[in-house]
Amino acid sequence: MSTLTASPTRGSLGRTTKAEWIKLSSIRSTWWTALAMVVVGAGFTTIICGVYANDIAAGSGDSQGEFITQGLIFSQISAVVIGALVVTSEYGTGLIRSTLAATPLRARVLAAKAIVLSGFLFVVGTATAFIGYFGGNAFFRHDGVGISLGDEHILRSMFGAGLYMAGLGLLAAAVGLLVRHTAAAISIVLALVFIIGQVVQLIPGTFGEWVMKLMPGNAGPGIVVPVSFGPDMLSPWTGFAVFVGEIALLGLAGFALFQKRDA
Amino acid sequence: MTITHTPGVGIRARRLTKRFGDKVAVDGIDFTVEPGRVTGFLGPNGAGKSTTMRMILGLDAPTAGSVRVNGHRYGSSPAPLREIGALLEAHAVHPGRSARDHLRWLAASNGIPTTRVGEVLELVGLESVAGQRAGRFSLGMGQRLGIAAALIGDPPIVMFDEPVNGLDPEGVRWVRSLARRLADEGKTVFVSSHLMSEMALMADHLIVIGRGSILADSSIQAFMAEHASAYVRVKAPQSTDVEALLVGRGLNVTRTDGELRVQGLDAAALGELIGGNGLLLHELTLVRSSLEDAFMELTADSVEYHARSEVAA
Repeated sequence: MSTLTASPTRGSLGRTTKAEWIKLSSIRSTWWTALAMVVVGAGFTTIICGVYANDIAAGSGDSQGEFITQGLIFSQISAVVIGALVVTSEYGTGLIRSTLAATPLRARVLAAKAIVLSGFLFVVGTATAFIGYFGGNAFFRHDGVGISLGDEHILRSMFGAGLYMAGLGLLAAAVGLLVRHTAAAISIVLALVFIIGQVVQLIPGTFGEWVMKLMPGNAGPGIVVPVSFGPDMLSPWTGFAVFVGEIALLGLAGFALFQKRDA
Repeated sequence: MTITHTPGVGIRARRLTKRFGDKVAVDGIDFTVEPGRVTGFLGPNGAGKSTTMRMILGLDAPTAGSVRVNGHRYGSSPAPLREIGALLEAHAVHPGRSARDHLRWLAASNGIPTTRVGEVLELVGLESVAGQRAGRFSLGMGQRLGIAAALIGDPPIVMFDEPVNGLDPEGVRWVRSLARRLADEGKTVFVSSHLMSEMALMADHLIVIGRGSILADSSIQAFMAEHASAYVRVKAPQSTDVEALLVGRGLNVTRTDGELRVQGLDAAALGELIGGNGLLLHELTLVRSSLEDAFMELTADSVEYHARSEVAA
Protein backbone atom coordinates (compact mmCIF):
# COMPACT_ATOMS: atom_id res chain seq x y z
CA MET A 1 0.00 0.00 0.00
CA SER A 2 1.27 3.40 -0.87
CA THR A 3 2.28 5.89 1.71
CA LEU A 4 0.76 9.28 1.51
CA THR A 5 3.41 11.72 0.52
CA ALA A 6 1.68 14.97 1.41
CA SER A 7 2.55 15.97 4.91
CA PRO A 8 -0.30 16.38 7.35
CA THR A 9 -1.22 20.00 7.63
CA ARG A 10 -3.48 21.80 10.01
CA GLY A 11 -7.17 21.15 9.75
CA SER A 12 -9.00 24.06 8.25
CA LEU A 13 -12.44 25.38 7.50
CA GLY A 14 -11.38 25.53 3.85
CA ARG A 15 -10.96 21.76 3.61
CA THR A 16 -14.23 21.08 5.35
CA THR A 17 -15.99 23.57 3.08
CA LYS A 18 -14.53 21.88 0.03
CA ALA A 19 -15.72 18.51 1.31
CA GLU A 20 -19.20 19.88 1.94
CA TRP A 21 -19.31 21.35 -1.55
CA ILE A 22 -18.37 17.98 -3.06
CA LYS A 23 -21.17 16.42 -1.01
CA LEU A 24 -23.81 18.94 -2.05
CA SER A 25 -22.83 19.01 -5.72
CA SER A 26 -22.45 15.24 -6.13
CA ILE A 27 -26.08 14.52 -5.36
CA ARG A 28 -28.40 14.70 -8.36
CA SER A 29 -31.40 15.83 -6.34
CA THR A 30 -29.53 19.06 -5.49
CA TRP A 31 -29.41 19.99 -9.16
CA TRP A 32 -32.97 18.93 -9.91
CA THR A 33 -34.27 20.94 -6.98
CA ALA A 34 -32.18 23.96 -7.99
CA LEU A 35 -33.46 23.64 -11.56
CA ALA A 36 -37.01 23.54 -10.20
CA MET A 37 -36.29 26.73 -8.26
CA VAL A 38 -35.17 28.52 -11.42
CA VAL A 39 -37.81 27.17 -13.80
CA VAL A 40 -40.78 27.52 -11.47
CA GLY A 41 -39.69 30.85 -9.98
CA ALA A 42 -38.70 32.57 -13.22
CA GLY A 43 -41.50 30.85 -15.13
CA PHE A 44 -44.29 32.00 -12.84
CA THR A 45 -42.85 35.51 -12.68
CA THR A 46 -42.88 35.67 -16.47
CA ILE A 47 -46.44 34.34 -16.70
CA ILE A 48 -47.77 36.67 -14.00
CA CYS A 49 -46.14 39.68 -15.64
CA GLY A 50 -47.58 38.54 -18.98
CA VAL A 51 -51.04 38.40 -17.48
CA TYR A 52 -50.89 41.84 -15.84
CA ALA A 53 -48.85 43.78 -18.43
CA ASN A 54 -51.96 44.71 -20.35
CA ASP A 55 -53.78 46.01 -17.26
CA ILE A 56 -50.80 48.10 -16.21
CA ALA A 57 -50.56 49.54 -19.70
CA ALA A 58 -54.29 50.30 -19.53
CA GLY A 59 -53.71 52.24 -16.30
CA SER A 60 -54.91 49.77 -13.65
CA GLY A 61 -52.84 51.59 -11.08
CA ASP A 62 -50.77 48.51 -10.26
CA SER A 63 -46.99 48.81 -10.32
CA GLN A 64 -44.68 46.50 -12.30
CA GLY A 65 -42.65 46.04 -9.15
CA GLU A 66 -45.49 44.18 -7.49
CA PHE A 67 -45.17 41.40 -10.05
CA ILE A 68 -41.56 41.27 -11.17
CA THR A 69 -40.50 38.81 -8.43
CA GLN A 70 -43.89 37.18 -7.75
CA GLY A 71 -42.94 33.71 -8.99
CA LEU A 72 -40.28 33.38 -6.31
CA ILE A 73 -43.05 32.54 -3.86
CA PHE A 74 -42.89 29.05 -5.31
CA SER A 75 -39.10 28.95 -5.33
CA GLN A 76 -39.20 29.02 -1.54
CA ILE A 77 -40.12 25.32 -1.58
CA SER A 78 -36.86 24.38 -3.34
CA ALA A 79 -34.78 26.43 -0.92
CA VAL A 80 -36.43 24.70 2.05
CA VAL A 81 -35.91 21.25 0.53
CA ILE A 82 -32.22 21.80 -0.25
CA GLY A 83 -31.61 23.41 3.14
CA ALA A 84 -33.26 20.63 5.12
CA LEU A 85 -31.57 17.87 3.13
CA VAL A 86 -28.08 19.26 3.75
CA VAL A 87 -28.57 18.21 7.36
CA THR A 88 -31.28 15.55 7.47
CA SER A 89 -29.99 13.38 4.60
CA GLU A 90 -26.91 12.75 6.74
CA TYR A 91 -29.03 11.45 9.57
CA GLY A 92 -31.27 9.41 7.30
CA THR A 93 -28.32 7.55 5.82
CA GLY A 94 -25.93 7.40 8.77
CA LEU A 95 -23.52 9.55 6.78
CA ILE A 96 -23.24 11.92 9.73
CA ARG A 97 -20.91 9.37 11.37
CA SER A 98 -18.52 9.51 8.42
CA THR A 99 -18.74 13.29 8.44
CA LEU A 100 -17.89 13.61 12.12
CA ALA A 101 -15.21 10.93 12.01
CA ALA A 102 -13.54 12.94 9.23
CA THR A 103 -14.09 16.31 10.93
CA PRO A 104 -14.59 15.86 14.66
CA LEU A 105 -14.87 19.60 15.30
CA ARG A 106 -18.64 19.91 15.03
CA ALA A 107 -18.72 23.70 14.90
CA ARG A 108 -16.52 23.54 11.80
CA VAL A 109 -18.84 21.04 10.14
CA LEU A 110 -21.81 23.34 10.66
CA ALA A 111 -19.91 26.42 9.55
CA ALA A 112 -18.86 24.67 6.34
CA LYS A 113 -22.40 23.48 5.68
CA ALA A 114 -23.75 27.00 6.24
CA ILE A 115 -21.19 28.54 3.88
CA VAL A 116 -21.84 26.05 1.10
CA LEU A 117 -25.61 26.06 1.48
CA SER A 118 -26.06 29.82 1.68
CA GLY A 119 -23.58 30.47 -1.12
CA PHE A 120 -25.30 27.99 -3.42
CA LEU A 121 -28.82 29.27 -2.68
CA PHE A 122 -27.70 32.89 -3.02
CA VAL A 123 -26.41 32.22 -6.52
CA VAL A 124 -29.41 30.14 -7.63
CA GLY A 125 -31.92 32.51 -6.00
CA THR A 126 -30.35 35.59 -7.58
CA ALA A 127 -30.20 33.87 -10.97
CA THR A 128 -33.88 32.94 -10.65
CA ALA A 129 -34.79 36.56 -9.91
CA PHE A 130 -32.80 37.88 -12.86
CA ILE A 131 -34.21 35.35 -15.32
CA GLY A 132 -37.72 36.14 -14.06
CA TYR A 133 -37.01 39.83 -14.44
CA PHE A 134 -35.92 39.47 -18.06
CA GLY A 135 -38.85 37.17 -18.85
CA GLY A 136 -41.45 39.34 -17.16
CA ASN A 137 -40.03 42.61 -18.41
CA ALA A 138 -40.24 41.31 -21.99
CA PHE A 139 -44.04 41.39 -21.59
CA PHE A 140 -43.95 44.81 -19.92
CA ARG A 141 -41.85 46.16 -22.78
CA HIS A 142 -44.12 44.62 -25.34
CA ASP A 143 -46.96 46.59 -23.81
CA GLY A 144 -44.86 49.72 -23.54
CA VAL A 145 -44.48 49.68 -19.76
CA GLY A 146 -40.97 48.16 -19.51
CA ILE A 147 -38.84 48.77 -16.46
CA SER A 148 -35.07 48.92 -16.05
CA LEU A 149 -32.56 47.34 -13.68
CA GLY A 150 -31.58 50.86 -12.76
CA ASP A 151 -35.05 51.63 -11.43
CA GLU A 152 -35.46 52.09 -7.72
CA HIS A 153 -35.30 48.88 -5.64
CA ILE A 154 -35.02 46.56 -8.64
CA LEU A 155 -31.40 45.49 -8.12
CA ARG A 156 -31.96 45.28 -4.37
CA SER A 157 -34.80 42.86 -4.95
CA MET A 158 -32.77 40.76 -7.42
CA PHE A 159 -29.93 40.19 -4.96
CA GLY A 160 -32.42 40.26 -2.12
CA ALA A 161 -34.02 37.16 -3.65
CA GLY A 162 -30.67 35.39 -3.35
CA LEU A 163 -30.24 36.54 0.23
CA TYR A 164 -33.74 35.47 1.19
CA MET A 165 -33.37 32.02 -0.41
CA ALA A 166 -30.04 31.56 1.38
CA GLY A 167 -31.70 32.54 4.66
CA LEU A 168 -34.63 30.23 4.10
CA GLY A 169 -32.27 27.34 3.37
CA LEU A 170 -30.37 28.06 6.59
CA LEU A 171 -33.64 28.19 8.51
CA ALA A 172 -34.61 24.75 7.16
CA ALA A 173 -31.15 23.39 7.95
CA ALA A 174 -31.44 24.69 11.53
CA VAL A 175 -34.82 22.99 11.93
CA GLY A 176 -33.24 19.89 10.40
CA LEU A 177 -30.66 19.91 13.19
CA LEU A 178 -33.43 20.05 15.76
CA VAL A 179 -35.63 17.28 14.34
CA ARG A 180 -33.06 15.22 12.34
CA HIS A 181 -35.76 13.99 10.00
CA THR A 182 -36.23 15.08 6.38
CA ALA A 183 -40.02 15.05 6.06
CA ALA A 184 -40.50 16.63 9.48
CA ALA A 185 -38.03 19.45 8.82
CA ILE A 186 -39.48 20.29 5.39
CA SER A 187 -43.08 20.16 6.65
CA ILE A 188 -42.37 22.36 9.64
CA VAL A 189 -40.65 25.09 7.65
CA LEU A 190 -43.15 25.05 4.78
CA ALA A 191 -46.02 25.23 7.28
CA LEU A 192 -44.30 28.09 9.07
CA VAL A 193 -43.84 30.07 5.86
CA PHE A 194 -47.01 29.27 3.94
CA ILE A 195 -49.65 28.50 6.56
CA ILE A 196 -48.81 29.73 10.04
CA GLY A 197 -47.61 33.07 8.67
CA GLN A 198 -51.10 33.59 7.21
CA VAL A 199 -53.14 32.09 10.04
CA VAL A 200 -51.67 34.42 12.68
CA GLN A 201 -53.41 37.31 10.93
CA LEU A 202 -56.52 36.05 12.70
CA ILE A 203 -55.08 37.03 16.09
CA PRO A 204 -56.86 40.27 16.88
CA GLY A 205 -55.38 43.64 17.77
CA THR A 206 -51.90 45.10 17.64
CA PHE A 207 -50.44 41.92 19.12
CA GLY A 208 -51.71 39.88 16.17
CA GLU A 209 -50.37 42.48 13.78
CA TRP A 210 -46.90 42.23 15.27
CA VAL A 211 -46.89 38.43 15.37
CA MET A 212 -47.81 38.45 11.71
CA LYS A 213 -45.10 40.97 10.81
CA LEU A 214 -42.43 39.04 12.67
CA MET A 215 -43.14 35.60 11.23
CA PRO A 216 -40.05 34.55 9.22
CA GLY A 217 -42.00 34.07 5.99
CA ASN A 218 -43.40 37.60 6.30
CA ALA A 219 -40.43 39.51 7.66
CA GLY A 220 -37.82 37.96 5.35
CA PRO A 221 -39.17 38.43 1.83
CA GLY A 222 -39.54 42.21 2.08
CA ILE A 223 -36.17 42.58 0.41
CA VAL A 224 -37.31 40.42 -2.52
CA VAL A 225 -40.11 42.72 -3.67
CA PRO A 226 -39.42 46.16 -5.16
CA VAL A 227 -42.84 47.32 -3.99
CA SER A 228 -43.88 46.35 -0.49
CA PHE A 229 -46.71 43.89 0.13
CA GLY A 230 -48.46 46.53 2.19
CA PRO A 231 -48.16 49.13 4.94
CA ASP A 232 -48.54 46.43 7.63
CA MET A 233 -45.17 44.93 6.77
CA LEU A 234 -41.76 45.77 8.18
CA SER A 235 -39.52 47.77 5.86
CA PRO A 236 -37.30 45.55 3.67
CA TRP A 237 -34.03 45.67 5.61
CA THR A 238 -35.66 45.81 9.04
CA GLY A 239 -37.65 42.74 8.11
CA PHE A 240 -34.57 40.97 6.83
CA ALA A 241 -32.69 41.78 10.03
CA VAL A 242 -35.53 40.22 12.03
CA PHE A 243 -35.40 37.18 9.72
CA VAL A 244 -31.63 36.83 10.22
CA GLY A 245 -32.15 37.08 13.97
CA GLU A 246 -34.67 34.27 13.85
CA ILE A 247 -32.31 32.10 11.80
CA ALA A 248 -29.54 32.81 14.30
CA LEU A 249 -31.73 31.79 17.25
CA LEU A 250 -32.82 28.52 15.65
CA GLY A 251 -29.29 27.93 14.41
CA LEU A 252 -27.85 28.36 17.90
CA ALA A 253 -30.43 25.99 19.35
CA GLY A 254 -29.60 23.46 16.62
CA PHE A 255 -25.88 23.89 17.20
CA ALA A 256 -26.25 23.39 20.96
CA LEU A 257 -28.08 20.10 20.40
CA PHE A 258 -25.65 19.02 17.68
CA GLN A 259 -22.73 19.54 20.07
CA LYS A 260 -24.37 17.59 22.83
CA ARG A 261 -25.97 14.66 21.05
CA ASP A 262 -24.32 11.38 20.15
CA ALA A 263 -24.07 10.92 16.41
CA MET B 1 3.41 -14.71 22.14
CA THR B 2 5.30 -11.80 23.59
CA ILE B 3 3.39 -8.61 23.96
CA THR B 4 5.45 -5.64 23.01
CA HIS B 5 3.67 -2.63 24.28
CA THR B 6 4.60 0.70 22.84
CA PRO B 7 3.14 3.50 24.92
CA GLY B 8 0.97 5.95 23.05
CA VAL B 9 0.40 3.73 20.05
CA GLY B 10 -2.84 1.95 19.30
CA ILE B 11 -6.08 2.25 21.19
CA ARG B 12 -6.33 2.38 24.95
CA ALA B 13 -9.59 2.46 26.92
CA ARG B 14 -9.70 3.16 30.65
CA ARG B 15 -12.84 2.66 32.75
CA LEU B 16 -14.78 3.38 29.56
CA THR B 17 -18.48 3.60 30.34
CA LYS B 18 -21.61 4.40 28.37
CA ARG B 19 -25.11 4.51 29.78
CA PHE B 20 -28.26 5.12 27.77
CA GLY B 21 -30.77 6.17 30.38
CA ASP B 22 -30.56 3.49 33.05
CA LYS B 23 -29.27 0.87 30.61
CA VAL B 24 -25.54 0.29 30.83
CA ALA B 25 -24.20 -0.39 27.33
CA VAL B 26 -20.50 -0.35 28.22
CA ASP B 27 -19.58 -0.94 31.82
CA GLY B 28 -16.25 0.59 32.79
CA ILE B 29 -14.07 -1.49 30.51
CA ASP B 30 -10.28 -1.43 30.25
CA PHE B 31 -8.48 -2.70 27.20
CA THR B 32 -5.57 -1.96 24.92
CA VAL B 33 -5.37 -2.63 21.22
CA GLU B 34 -1.75 -3.09 20.19
CA PRO B 35 -0.14 -2.47 16.80
CA GLY B 36 1.20 -5.24 14.59
CA ARG B 37 -1.54 -7.72 15.20
CA VAL B 38 -5.21 -8.30 14.49
CA THR B 39 -7.26 -7.81 17.62
CA GLY B 40 -10.68 -9.38 17.47
CA PHE B 41 -13.50 -7.71 19.36
CA LEU B 42 -15.92 -10.53 19.92
CA GLY B 43 -19.33 -10.50 21.49
CA PRO B 44 -22.98 -11.26 20.88
CA ASN B 45 -25.19 -8.63 19.29
CA GLY B 46 -25.95 -5.87 21.77
CA ALA B 47 -22.84 -6.58 23.83
CA GLY B 48 -21.53 -3.04 23.40
CA LYS B 49 -19.07 -3.49 20.50
CA SER B 50 -20.45 -0.78 18.24
CA THR B 51 -20.99 1.63 21.11
CA THR B 52 -17.35 1.16 22.13
CA MET B 53 -16.20 1.78 18.57
CA ARG B 54 -18.34 4.91 18.29
CA MET B 55 -16.77 6.21 21.50
CA ILE B 56 -13.30 5.54 20.11
CA LEU B 57 -14.22 7.80 17.17
CA GLY B 58 -15.70 10.48 19.40
CA LEU B 59 -19.15 10.00 17.85
CA ASP B 60 -20.66 9.04 21.21
CA ALA B 61 -19.44 10.76 24.34
CA PRO B 62 -18.46 8.36 27.16
CA THR B 63 -20.55 8.66 30.31
CA ALA B 64 -17.35 8.04 32.26
CA GLY B 65 -13.79 6.96 31.60
CA SER B 66 -11.79 7.71 28.50
CA VAL B 67 -10.37 6.26 25.35
CA ARG B 68 -7.16 7.36 23.67
CA VAL B 69 -6.13 6.89 20.06
CA ASN B 70 -2.38 7.05 19.58
CA GLY B 71 -2.15 8.59 23.00
CA HIS B 72 -4.64 11.38 22.56
CA ARG B 73 -8.36 11.98 22.41
CA TYR B 74 -9.84 11.40 18.97
CA GLY B 75 -10.47 14.67 17.22
CA SER B 76 -7.51 16.59 18.49
CA SER B 77 -5.71 15.65 15.31
CA PRO B 78 -6.01 18.00 12.32
CA ALA B 79 -6.41 15.06 9.93
CA PRO B 80 -8.03 12.22 11.88
CA LEU B 81 -8.50 10.02 8.82
CA ARG B 82 -4.71 9.76 8.63
CA GLU B 83 -4.67 8.39 12.18
CA ILE B 84 -7.55 5.96 12.28
CA GLY B 85 -9.84 4.65 9.57
CA ALA B 86 -13.11 3.02 10.46
CA LEU B 87 -15.71 0.91 8.77
CA LEU B 88 -18.87 1.38 10.77
CA GLU B 89 -21.67 -1.10 11.00
CA ALA B 90 -24.25 0.99 9.22
CA HIS B 91 -22.11 1.73 6.21
CA ALA B 92 -22.45 5.44 6.32
CA VAL B 93 -22.86 6.35 2.66
CA HIS B 94 -25.45 8.51 0.89
CA PRO B 95 -27.29 6.25 -1.59
CA GLY B 96 -27.39 8.98 -4.23
CA ARG B 97 -23.66 9.62 -4.29
CA SER B 98 -21.19 7.61 -6.33
CA ALA B 99 -18.45 5.62 -4.67
CA ARG B 100 -15.83 7.91 -6.16
CA ASP B 101 -17.56 11.09 -4.95
CA HIS B 102 -17.96 9.60 -1.48
CA LEU B 103 -14.21 8.99 -1.31
CA ARG B 104 -13.50 12.39 -2.89
CA TRP B 105 -15.22 14.36 -0.15
CA LEU B 106 -13.57 12.25 2.52
CA ALA B 107 -10.17 12.92 0.98
CA ALA B 108 -10.88 16.63 0.66
CA SER B 109 -11.96 16.92 4.28
CA ASN B 110 -8.57 15.69 5.51
CA GLY B 111 -6.33 17.21 2.86
CA ILE B 112 -5.59 13.80 1.35
CA PRO B 113 -4.49 13.92 -2.32
CA THR B 114 -7.24 12.94 -4.76
CA THR B 115 -4.95 10.34 -6.34
CA ARG B 116 -5.51 8.27 -3.22
CA VAL B 117 -9.19 7.82 -4.24
CA GLY B 118 -8.21 5.74 -7.26
CA GLU B 119 -5.73 3.75 -5.19
CA VAL B 120 -8.22 2.65 -2.56
CA LEU B 121 -10.91 1.94 -5.18
CA GLU B 122 -8.45 -0.41 -6.85
CA LEU B 123 -7.43 -1.90 -3.52
CA VAL B 124 -11.01 -2.92 -2.70
CA GLY B 125 -11.85 -3.90 -6.27
CA LEU B 126 -14.50 -1.28 -6.97
CA GLU B 127 -12.81 0.61 -9.85
CA SER B 128 -15.31 -0.62 -12.42
CA VAL B 129 -18.34 0.60 -10.45
CA ALA B 130 -16.76 3.75 -8.98
CA GLY B 131 -19.13 6.01 -10.91
CA GLN B 132 -22.26 4.17 -9.84
CA ARG B 133 -24.49 5.44 -7.09
CA ALA B 134 -23.80 3.67 -3.83
CA GLY B 135 -27.51 3.04 -3.32
CA ARG B 136 -27.33 0.41 -6.07
CA PHE B 137 -24.53 -1.47 -4.35
CA SER B 138 -25.03 -4.89 -2.83
CA LEU B 139 -24.30 -5.26 0.87
CA GLY B 140 -20.90 -6.70 -0.01
CA MET B 141 -20.01 -3.82 -2.33
CA GLY B 142 -21.13 -1.40 0.38
CA GLN B 143 -18.75 -3.10 2.81
CA ARG B 144 -15.92 -2.79 0.30
CA LEU B 145 -16.67 0.92 -0.11
CA GLY B 146 -16.69 1.30 3.66
CA ILE B 147 -13.28 -0.39 3.82
CA ALA B 148 -11.99 1.88 1.03
CA ALA B 149 -13.18 4.86 3.09
CA ALA B 150 -11.41 3.50 6.17
CA LEU B 151 -8.14 3.20 4.23
CA ILE B 152 -8.31 6.57 2.42
CA GLY B 153 -5.87 8.23 4.81
CA ASP B 154 -3.53 5.21 4.98
CA PRO B 155 -3.91 5.33 8.76
CA PRO B 156 -1.79 3.38 11.25
CA ILE B 157 -4.98 2.20 12.98
CA VAL B 158 -7.92 0.57 11.24
CA MET B 159 -11.14 -0.42 12.87
CA PHE B 160 -13.70 -2.64 11.13
CA ASP B 161 -17.12 -3.17 12.69
CA GLU B 162 -18.51 -6.52 11.49
CA PRO B 163 -16.63 -6.35 8.17
CA VAL B 164 -17.66 -9.75 6.82
CA ASN B 165 -21.39 -9.12 7.16
CA GLY B 166 -23.00 -9.57 3.77
CA LEU B 167 -19.82 -10.64 2.03
CA ASP B 168 -19.65 -13.72 -0.16
CA PRO B 169 -17.03 -16.37 0.72
CA GLU B 170 -14.48 -14.80 -1.61
CA GLY B 171 -15.08 -11.42 0.05
CA VAL B 172 -14.72 -12.93 3.50
CA ARG B 173 -11.36 -14.39 2.54
CA TRP B 174 -10.33 -11.06 1.10
CA VAL B 175 -11.16 -9.19 4.34
CA ARG B 176 -9.23 -11.80 6.29
CA SER B 177 -6.11 -11.45 4.20
CA LEU B 178 -6.43 -7.65 4.17
CA ALA B 179 -6.60 -7.55 7.96
CA ARG B 180 -3.58 -9.86 8.10
CA ARG B 181 -1.61 -7.75 5.64
CA LEU B 182 -2.38 -4.51 7.49
CA ALA B 183 -1.26 -6.05 10.78
CA ASP B 184 1.91 -7.38 9.15
CA GLU B 185 2.65 -3.85 7.97
CA GLY B 186 2.68 -2.92 11.65
CA LYS B 187 -0.73 -1.32 11.79
CA THR B 188 -3.15 -1.62 14.66
CA VAL B 189 -6.11 -3.66 13.41
CA PHE B 190 -9.28 -3.84 15.49
CA VAL B 191 -12.06 -6.01 14.07
CA SER B 192 -15.42 -6.71 15.67
CA SER B 193 -17.57 -9.74 15.05
CA HIS B 194 -20.24 -11.81 16.69
CA LEU B 195 -18.84 -14.95 15.04
CA MET B 196 -16.23 -16.87 16.98
CA SER B 197 -15.34 -18.96 13.93
CA GLU B 198 -14.48 -15.81 12.00
CA MET B 199 -12.33 -14.45 14.80
CA ALA B 200 -10.52 -17.78 15.15
CA LEU B 201 -9.43 -17.42 11.52
CA MET B 202 -8.61 -13.72 11.56
CA ALA B 203 -7.42 -12.59 14.95
CA ASP B 204 -4.14 -12.90 16.84
CA HIS B 205 -5.59 -11.46 19.98
CA LEU B 206 -9.09 -11.63 21.33
CA ILE B 207 -11.12 -9.28 23.47
CA VAL B 208 -14.46 -10.86 24.35
CA ILE B 209 -17.25 -8.55 25.48
CA GLY B 210 -20.66 -9.45 26.85
CA ARG B 211 -23.26 -7.11 28.32
CA GLY B 212 -20.79 -4.27 28.33
CA SER B 213 -18.07 -6.10 30.28
CA ILE B 214 -14.83 -7.67 29.15
CA LEU B 215 -15.08 -11.45 29.58
CA ALA B 216 -11.70 -12.40 28.16
CA ASP B 217 -8.62 -10.55 26.89
CA SER B 218 -5.90 -12.88 25.68
CA SER B 219 -4.03 -14.18 22.68
CA ILE B 220 -6.04 -16.49 20.49
CA GLN B 221 -3.77 -19.44 21.42
CA ALA B 222 -4.22 -18.81 25.11
CA PHE B 223 -7.95 -18.48 24.60
CA MET B 224 -8.07 -21.79 22.76
CA ALA B 225 -5.92 -23.55 25.33
CA GLU B 226 -8.12 -22.29 28.11
CA HIS B 227 -11.53 -22.67 26.58
CA ALA B 228 -11.41 -25.24 23.82
CA SER B 229 -10.62 -28.69 25.13
CA ALA B 230 -10.19 -32.03 23.40
CA TYR B 231 -10.72 -35.40 25.03
CA VAL B 232 -11.24 -39.00 24.00
CA ARG B 233 -14.53 -40.62 24.86
CA VAL B 234 -14.06 -44.22 25.94
CA LYS B 235 -16.87 -46.75 26.32
CA ALA B 236 -15.84 -50.11 27.64
CA PRO B 237 -17.76 -52.95 29.35
CA GLN B 238 -15.16 -53.23 32.14
CA SER B 239 -15.04 -49.50 32.59
CA THR B 240 -13.80 -49.67 36.19
CA ASP B 241 -10.75 -51.70 35.14
CA VAL B 242 -10.10 -49.34 32.24
CA GLU B 243 -10.36 -46.34 34.52
CA ALA B 244 -7.94 -47.89 36.98
CA LEU B 245 -5.51 -48.65 34.17
CA LEU B 246 -5.62 -45.12 32.74
CA VAL B 247 -5.43 -43.38 36.07
CA GLY B 248 -2.48 -45.64 36.87
CA ARG B 249 -0.75 -44.22 33.76
CA GLY B 250 -1.22 -40.71 35.09
CA LEU B 251 -3.94 -39.70 32.63
CA ASN B 252 -6.71 -37.27 33.43
CA VAL B 253 -9.94 -39.31 33.50
CA THR B 254 -13.46 -38.21 34.32
CA ARG B 255 -16.47 -40.50 34.44
CA THR B 256 -19.77 -39.23 33.03
CA ASP B 257 -22.89 -41.33 32.38
CA GLY B 258 -21.03 -44.60 32.15
CA GLU B 259 -18.44 -43.22 29.72
CA LEU B 260 -14.91 -42.08 30.40
CA ARG B 261 -13.46 -38.82 29.20
CA VAL B 262 -9.72 -39.08 28.86
CA GLN B 263 -7.26 -36.28 28.28
CA GLY B 264 -3.54 -36.59 27.74
CA LEU B 265 -3.29 -39.31 25.12
CA ASP B 266 -4.62 -39.54 21.58
CA ALA B 267 -7.23 -42.05 20.46
CA ALA B 268 -4.84 -44.46 18.70
CA ALA B 269 -2.45 -44.69 21.64
CA LEU B 270 -5.36 -45.15 24.04
CA GLY B 271 -6.77 -47.99 21.93
CA GLU B 272 -3.43 -49.77 21.91
CA LEU B 273 -3.00 -49.31 25.63
CA ILE B 274 -6.44 -50.61 26.53
CA GLY B 275 -6.37 -53.49 23.99
CA GLY B 276 -2.83 -54.38 24.98
CA ASN B 277 -4.04 -54.97 28.52
CA GLY B 278 -6.69 -57.41 27.33
CA LEU B 279 -9.62 -55.09 27.97
CA LEU B 280 -12.57 -54.72 25.57
CA LEU B 281 -13.49 -51.48 23.89
CA HIS B 282 -16.92 -50.44 22.60
CA GLU B 283 -16.18 -46.94 21.56
CA LEU B 284 -13.20 -44.67 21.21
CA THR B 285 -13.94 -41.16 19.91
CA LEU B 286 -11.96 -37.97 19.79
CA VAL B 287 -14.22 -35.13 20.94
CA ARG B 288 -13.19 -31.56 20.40
CA SER B 289 -15.20 -28.83 22.00
CA SER B 290 -14.99 -25.98 19.52
CA LEU B 291 -14.15 -22.35 20.10
CA GLU B 292 -17.72 -21.66 19.13
CA ASP B 293 -18.83 -23.76 22.11
CA ALA B 294 -16.34 -21.99 24.33
CA PHE B 295 -17.65 -18.62 23.19
CA MET B 296 -21.27 -19.65 23.68
CA GLU B 297 -20.47 -20.88 27.14
CA LEU B 298 -18.56 -17.76 28.01
CA THR B 299 -21.25 -15.39 26.84
CA ALA B 300 -24.29 -17.48 27.73
CA ASP B 301 -25.19 -15.20 30.59
CA SER B 302 -24.59 -12.07 28.63
CA VAL B 303 -26.71 -12.66 25.56
CA GLU B 304 -29.61 -10.29 25.54
CA TYR B 305 -32.11 -12.25 23.53
CA HIS B 306 -32.23 -16.03 23.61
CA ALA B 307 -34.28 -18.08 21.24
CA ARG B 308 -36.63 -20.20 23.32
CA SER B 309 -35.02 -23.49 22.33
CA GLU B 310 -31.66 -22.15 23.42
CA VAL B 311 -33.02 -21.24 26.83
CA ALA B 312 -34.44 -24.73 27.22
CA ALA B 313 -31.13 -26.32 26.23
